[in-house]
Amino acid sequence: MIPQLVTVRHRRANGRWLRFYVPVLPVLLVLSPLLLLAVLGGLIACRIFRVSAPGALRGIGRLLWALPGSRFEIEEGRMAFLVSVR
Amino acid sequence: MNEHRRQILEMLAEGKITADEAERLIDALAREQPGSPPGTASGTKGRPKYLRVVLNSEDDSGLDGPTRMNIRIPLQLLRAGVRLTSLIPPQALTQVNAQLAKSGVPIDLTQLKPQHIEDLVEHLDDIIVDLDEPGSKIQVFCE
Repeated sequence: MIPQLVTVRHRRANGRWLRFYVPVLPVLLVLSPLLLLAVLGGLIACRIFRVSAPGALRGIGRLLWALPGSRFEIEEGRMAFLVSVR
Repeated sequence: MNEHRRQILEMLAEGKITADEAERLIDALAREQPGSPPGTASGTKGRPKYLRVVLNSEDDSGLDGPTRMNIRIPLQLLRAGVRLTSLIPPQALTQVNAQLAKSGVPIDLTQLKPQHIEDLVEHLDDIIVDLDEPGSKIQVFCE
C-alpha cells in the first residue's frame, strides 16, 4: 500500500503548532506531469550510469510501499518537529 | 505474564526496588513477550515490524527544556533501502573503495553482497540497545 497521508507538525519557539496534512494520492495526481518528466530523467540517468532501469523503478516502488508506518518525532525544548506517514 | 507483573509490583510495594527499576522491568517484560497482535500469529513469536529509536534527555544545556526523539522505521523500509544498494554501479563502488582506502578505511564494498545486508536487517529483530545515563536514556529496539 502506498502512503496515503503524510502529517507534518512543527511547534515553533512561541509554542504555536503548524500542521500540514498532505494527501499523497491527490498530490501525486496534480504533480503527475512533473512526475512523468522526473521518471524520464531518471531513465536517462540510469542509461548513462548503466544502472538497471527496471531494477531502479522496482527499488523505488518498494521504498514507497514500505513507507507507511514511519514516524519521526524530535522535541527540543519548546521546538518540535513531527512527521508521520500513514 | 500477569504473575510476573504482580511480582514486580509487590517488590515495588515492599520497597525492594525503586519505581524506575519497576518501570524498566515491566518494559523489559512487555518487550520480551509482546501481546500477540492480530495478524502476527505465525511462528513462535510475532515478527517485529518496526525499528524504534527513543531518546529522552533531561539535560537541557543551553536549551529551554528537555530533548526527546522518537523514531519508528518499518523494517520493510530498511530492506527496501538495502536492496537499492545493489543498483550502485561497480565503477562507483571501486571509486568509493579507493577513497576509503585513502582515508585509512580499507573496506572492500564490492565484497558486501545484498544478501549479507539483508541477513543483517533480518537479525535486527533481536537487537536491544539500552543506554542509561544520568539525565538521558537511549533505547533502540524492534517492536
